[in-house]
Amino acid sequence: MMRTVEVLIVIIIMTGAFIATSFFAVLPLPRQVSPLNLNRLSLTTMEMLDSNHGLSQAAFDTNNSTLMAELQVALSASLPPNVLYNLTVYNVNSGQDGATLYNAQKSISNAKSLGITSDASSYLVASSNATFDVTPQKIGENNGGGGITLYILNCSDSNGWWITGYTSPSLAENVYQLLSPYFANIVMVQNTKQLAQILNGTALQGEAVKNAVIVNTCGEAVPIPSGYYASPGVGYDSASGSYARYSYNLGQRVLEYNWTWVSIVGYPLYYVSNTALFPNTQNTWGIYGMNLVGPAGLNAFLEGLDNQPYSYNDNWITADLSNPVYLSNEAINYCNYYGIYPSVYQSATRALPTSILNTYNLNVTTYVFNTALGGWNAGAVYRHNISVNGENQFQGGFFALGLTRTPDIRLTALGLLCDYQPRLYSSDYNSYDTSRLVVLQLGLVGGT
Amino acid sequence: MSGISIDHIVSIIIFLAAILLFVSLFGQTVQPALTYQQNQAVATKCSDLLDTMLLNPGSPSNWGQENSIPTGFGVQDPEFTEYQLSAFSLMRLSSATGNLVEYDNLYYNELNSGFGASLLTPNAQALNYSTALTLLGINDTYGFQLTLTPDITVSIIENQACSPLNLSISATGTGFPFAGASINYCLILVTLAQTDAQYPFYTIQSGAVTTNPQGMAYVAFPSVTDANQVYAFIAYAHMDDIVGVGYHTRVSSTDQYVVPIVQDIASQEVALAHNYDLNNSLPNGSPLRYNATFVILTEDYTLSALSLGSSSSVTNITTPGNTSPTVFLPTYANGILIVTYQQENSTQGGVVMMPWGVNSLAFPVTFGGNPQHQEWVATDMRQVMVGNVAYQAKLSLWSTQETQVTS
Repeated sequence: MMRTVEVLIVIIIMTGAFIATSFFAVLPLPRQVSPLNLNRLSLTTMEMLDSNHGLSQAAFDTNNSTLMAELQVALSASLPPNVLYNLTVYNVNSGQDGATLYNAQKSISNAKSLGITSDASSYLVASSNATFDVTPQKIGENNGGGGITLYILNCSDSNGWWITGYTSPSLAENVYQLLSPYFANIVMVQNTKQLAQILNGTALQGEAVKNAVIVNTCGEAVPIPSGYYASPGVGYDSASGSYARYSYNLGQRVLEYNWTWVSIVGYPLYYVSNTALFPNTQNTWGIYGMNLVGPAGLNAFLEGLDNQPYSYNDNWITADLSNPVYLSNEAINYCNYYGIYPSVYQSATRALPTSILNTYNLNVTTYVFNTALGGWNAGAVYRHNISVNGENQFQGGFFALGLTRTPDIRLTALGLLCDYQPRLYSSDYNSYDTSRLVVLQLGLVGGT
Repeated sequence: MSGISIDHIVSIIIFLAAILLFVSLFGQTVQPALTYQQNQAVATKCSDLLDTMLLNPGSPSNWGQENSIPTGFGVQDPEFTEYQLSAFSLMRLSSATGNLVEYDNLYYNELNSGFGASLLTPNAQALNYSTALTLLGINDTYGFQLTLTPDITVSIIENQACSPLNLSISATGTGFPFAGASINYCLILVTLAQTDAQYPFYTIQSGAVTTNPQGMAYVAFPSVTDANQVYAFIAYAHMDDIVGVGYHTRVSSTDQYVVPIVQDIASQEVALAHNYDLNNSLPNGSPLRYNATFVILTEDYTLSALSLGSSSSVTNITTPGNTSPTVFLPTYANGILIVTYQQENSTQGGVVMMPWGVNSLAFPVTFGGNPQHQEWVATDMRQVMVGNVAYQAKLSLWSTQETQVTS
């Protein structure tokens, strides 16, 4: 008898479990199993109503009873008969603290209640009287000055190297198109005479010479003016038979005028070029008007930038990286900000060593590419450290892209924008009466 | 047998009976839940699949204007974003409701909504249901039916045949009369030839009216004084960017007429066949003299003719039993091919229209399988635009897997 009682107790427990399970296992309503996607239906209805800006027109003229009545008829006609709707137009404003405020302007509906299940979509419409645009900040204007000058070396009497597939003028034009929104003054340096002029500190068009950015579109070659800057002791090292001295002079000018020198591809300052100065000299690859300087050019430039005494040094300091280099997170972020999208990985055959930071008192202010294993920078902006009254400052800069040919000029623009970080001022979408938010809420009949 | 043994036997029997009872009870509770779960998965899939079809143009993106079978299925207009569909991709879908028509030993899919307007496209160039299932990756798992129905139904009824010709236009939305809508109309009046050397031609009268609160509008044409006057009437109802299209024709010859048949979508070649040549219906018939024009709808809802070859219209004779003459449509813009025809040596004639792009005459489209007799069908819908005409796209989806749990 005892066993039977135990079994009955078990049955009571199982009955209790079943009742508890049945109580908690509440099945959804049939309409919830396969609901009409009211959210998408709502959005597509508003898109359809605005296919020729009809909804926008009505949203900005909510006091026009004719327009609102037409909107209501169009809504009623286009939605299935079992769908209830409530369309509300909100004005979009900015509060004193900058927060967005939505003020209901008008509401139309075909029912008092939308039932127990409803869904809504919102649709932002813009006034036909408003124009939304983006205004870039000019680089250097935030310091109270008139902005920084961008010099683009487009010297007609110089040849380029490692710019295969392009010409200096075409690259110069591309640089102009990419960077013109961000610089107050852009000056095309048309020949080496004009280059000599700015090296002397004289403006070409009344622009500010100091603090300028100079983009050399000749690739591994650098234009050299005839005359003084090519003379022995100034541009020419008679002892070594090299124009590395000119690069040293350039480095000193970069330091003196706080310029930022930009090398767009390959080994910087590897050749000097002037078709009048070197009519019978070729760069060992058959391009006349050029003279091979070799690695000594970059070493001399860095010496000049650091105001070290000149010494001829033709040691090769760059590396040919076997693996591709990748854009830094910072650069990728600014790709999105400025809308410039070069390939995120590149081949670097002239990456600079990190050892130059100590050797020439440099700091990296922008890494365009992540530093490669072994301490190689394929693209970075270097700033020279100086001490003024015990305070560390930067004076003179150097942006080197040690990538293999052919150059992607977008990387040059990206690197400069990453370093200067000009802001983009977009139109305020919350300005009074420029935008309206339309919310269409849909429900199904029978859900009350 | 001892009392303890009986106690054991009774308790075991009761215990087993109770176990069986509870297994059954728990099963009954769980089974509907599993069914609900399955059905909810189908509903979710339905919504996703509908967006997949409507928000991608397929591959290649212009497959609606080519003859090849696409490698990806989608009906979005490649020149637009969002829910704007390609009228030509829809034209290439093998209709689930239309008839198959035989002509010249080939089969054609027929879309029509009454006499006077039809669209016949080559069955060999159509994308069929099973291919679409494969391209969507749901063969053997789901079945579907995609229907596109115009948001606004515009129907036209002739109230008085002549002096004046009175027509009533009804514009109705899916849920409400299209009250206060503007109706722009085009009356295509056909003049039949008086001599054998002439061909029938037409003139167009355009105008606009507004629908009343019941969505009705009435137009009268006092210039039509002949009860046998052949005409076609096209009405565009529009309000707040929603456009609907309707048409009506009156002909004096419904026995013998011209049938435009799209021969090749890529080259836009259309044969103008005698209806006696379809389905080998009748051996003899009269030659038909015709005049074909291709018109497109302008922004102000008037029809503008585009040239067919060297002139704005093509005249010819189509004779049953002979190879039908063809015309090449000049563009992939949505338009209507209007063909006026007349029997030789007779005053019997008429007018037929062929939409180039399903939206030109707001043809509905049904593509896919049959949802009837399925265990459970999920549906979802979107509002879409085909050209400038508003449609409702509805997808019905059901599971074809045998593992489906049924209640």
